[in-house]
Amino acid sequence: MKKIVVCVKQVPEVTDVQVDPITGTLLREGVQSILNPFCEYALDHAARIKQANAEFEVIAVCMGPPQAEDALRRCLELGADRAILLTDRKFAGADTWATAFTLAEVIRQLIPDFALILAGKQAIDGDTAQVGPEIAEILSLPQITYGTSVNLTADRKRVQVKREAEHGIEVLDAALPALVTITKGETQRRAPSLDAVIDAHRKNIEFVTAGDLLLDEEKLGLKGSYTQVVKIFPPPTRKDTRVLKDLEPAEAAREIFNFLKENHFLENNRSGAK
Amino acid sequence: MHIIFSQPASQAEFKTVKRIDGYEAIKTDYPIYLTDESKLVSTDANHLFIPRDEAELVAVIQAMSALGVPITVAGSRTGLVGGSVPACGAIVSLERFDQVESLFFDEDHQEWVLRAGAYVSLKSLEAMLKSKRFPDLEKIDNASVRSSYERFKADADTYLYPPDPTEMSASLGGSVVTNASGARTFRFGATRNWVRGLRVVLANGEFVDIPRGKYFASEKGTFEIVNKAGEKRTLTIPDYRLPETKCTAGFFTAPGMDLIDLFIGSEGVLGIVTRVDVALIKSEPKISIVQFLEDDYQAVRLTASLRSDQRIKLDFLEFYSGNALNLLRRVQAKAPSTVNMPPIPDEARSALFFELNYTPQSSNDHLAVLQEIICQHGADPALSWAAHEPRELERFKVFRHLLPETVNSIIAERKKSIPKLHKLGTDLAVPDEHLMDIWTLYQENCDALNLEWVAFGHIGNNHIHVNILPRNIEELTQGLELYQLFAQKTVEWGGAVSAEHGIGKIKQNFLALMFTPEQISQMQHVKTVFDPDHLLNPGDLFPCEVCT
Repeated sequence: MKKIVVCVKQVPEVTDVQVDPITGTLLREGVQSILNPFCEYALDHAARIKQANAEFEVIAVCMGPPQAEDALRRCLELGADRAILLTDRKFAGADTWATAFTLAEVIRQLIPDFALILAGKQAIDGDTAQVGPEIAEILSLPQITYGTSVNLTADRKRVQVKREAEHGIEVLDAALPALVTITKGETQRRAPSLDAVIDAHRKNIEFVTAGDLLLDEEKLGLKGSYTQVVKIFPPPTRKDTRVLKDLEPAEAAREIFNFLKENHFLENNRSGAK
Repeated sequence: MHIIFSQPASQAEFKTVKRIDGYEAIKTDYPIYLTDESKLVSTDANHLFIPRDEAELVAVIQAMSALGVPITVAGSRTGLVGGSVPACGAIVSLERFDQVESLFFDEDHQEWVLRAGAYVSLKSLEAMLKSKRFPDLEKIDNASVRSSYERFKADADTYLYPPDPTEMSASLGGSVVTNASGARTFRFGATRNWVRGLRVVLANGEFVDIPRGKYFASEKGTFEIVNKAGEKRTLTIPDYRLPETKCTAGFFTAPGMDLIDLFIGSEGVLGIVTRVDVALIKSEPKISIVQFLEDDYQAVRLTASLRSDQRIKLDFLEFYSGNALNLLRRVQAKAPSTVNMPPIPDEARSALFFELNYTPQSSNDHLAVLQEIICQHGADPALSWAAHEPRELERFKVFRHLLPETVNSIIAERKKSIPKLHKLGTDLAVPDEHLMDIWTLYQENCDALNLEWVAFGHIGNNHIHVNILPRNIEELTQGLELYQLFAQKTVEWGGAVSAEHGIGKIKQNFLALMFTPEQISQMQHVKTVFDPDHLLNPGDLFPCEVCT
């Protein structure tokens, strides 16, 4: 079987996340964890390739705490055939480089015959977009980022990717093995089927610890990280805002007009507020 | 007990009530109050009142009553039969009755009950319950209310209000007086099942508090209503038997009935509901499944099996006909990235949409039972969508709402060239044993006339909405004739001519199909006891006697 590896991450459902106004840290209590949405698109592309090429197997790989098993279960629902969870306290505190190093080593040691690696373009919690490209660097692979469609050539030796660029859409191809990071683009992601949900519960998730791999522990987790997150804080809230509530539209419009007029925003010289 | 005493309410100065006078002024500055989702538009409303509380509401009622001016009550105006569109007289908007008043645990029934003003929307209620944060309760000083609220917040479970009408911007009060229902009615019943108490302001300006389980019809089928002055009126409940299907046609009645049930689904013609107590239930993780099928008849057969198999318990069971899926495909093809739902498989010719409990960390054996039932009908569980994560469930909501929205936009477009055109949407429910009969009737007749039509909705309750999209006046006429035929057959089969939309101003001809003139006069007697001058919601349920 040819292997497609999909690197995934479990993230907090950010639409629910609030920030502690005093400490500035994320309030994660009661916040649901989900599979990173860009990873879902990566899985969808992997599953489409598998659907068109029966000789392919899709393997999801995730580094995270034991509860990240749920994210991998979701990967199985979305079309992964196998799921591997790297979980160990020694992995904790990893920055993007240490994460990429660990994932790259797992792929090198456990799935050395991979043909293609897919990853979400970024995780919605950190938004760094670094791990995918770093894995490609560590494994010396050609990489294509921001892919929106992924197809193999007829001889299965190259991958063709449409990618979003600032000036438009680029179509690139690369020799396999390669790594592609995925963004949403025009993709209509399919939903898992009832069969897939039931089957996902019947499959085992493979747990891998640091001890299962031949790794230099100095390169893992916090020890192996070049960077540390010192503080996360929301941008300061502007205090000089005024919200008009419980007014009829006409009254609200009148209030806004009066405010603009009083503050000289409506003067012809366009000099702005004084 | 079958005697209830109405109480005088405190009364504010009528002149302090916010008001807009004159049809033109209302039409110019407040046109939304002249219409609702039925798209019926009032041509004769002379006052709009927006009372801030019950005292002001009573002042309006008494002032209008003295002048003989009828009142039409407006909530969120999401009804589909013109209930809040004034036939004449004054409009009273309850939009300031929007406070959540308390949350308390009913020890007798071991359930949480929420008490709220009539205008609180179902959508905001859902959001507050989900977050367990009720801004109104945060501000309340009353120690008992605060302590009960804190207890609710500390409860490890989250709760929901089971009725889920498709239109979640509906107000709680509006959903009560229409006995609104939605997809989950399949498992949890309509709004009626969840109402635990009502405050109703009557046409005489007095109010009654009606907790469920206190006032029951006497053996003779009567209630007695006594006002502050000691005047007694006797009400005899109608003696007709309602269908066992979902039904919002006519007043509820049953031997020994609870008085509260008379007001639920009464379309606001008996009194003005200002405050509602509703029960909450624990929310549980769910999985939603859209099972695609070979044809619509396979969907009807699978429906029968899904609801009869005791090993599974579905929350809802909804239907999408093959022509409905085709319409959705066209919308999806036009704007694939803006329609945030999964692509509909090419092989799909019909679909059932259902929901049931799901525990992410367990083996969920009942899903295997479901798989077995689907396979027994020759369908393929691999040709389905399944969602249990909130974000995925959101994509399914698009699937649920896109069809009616698309139908409405097509009709709106056609109306630009043919203003008299309108959508024809059926709202009929039949007993279980006639589901195949009614589906065959729908399909054969609509196809025979080559009409453009789609069907969707609550197949679990044998309540499929057939939407005919007429392309010209001839097709509109043909569609209206068909609707009449469908309604006649529904009554013959023991069903209801209105399963959830109500009668309002636009379906009164159907009421006469389902009830005899004698039974309709029994309803009018009930109306007259509570509203002797017929000043509340004129033209709803019965023809308007004031403005005609």
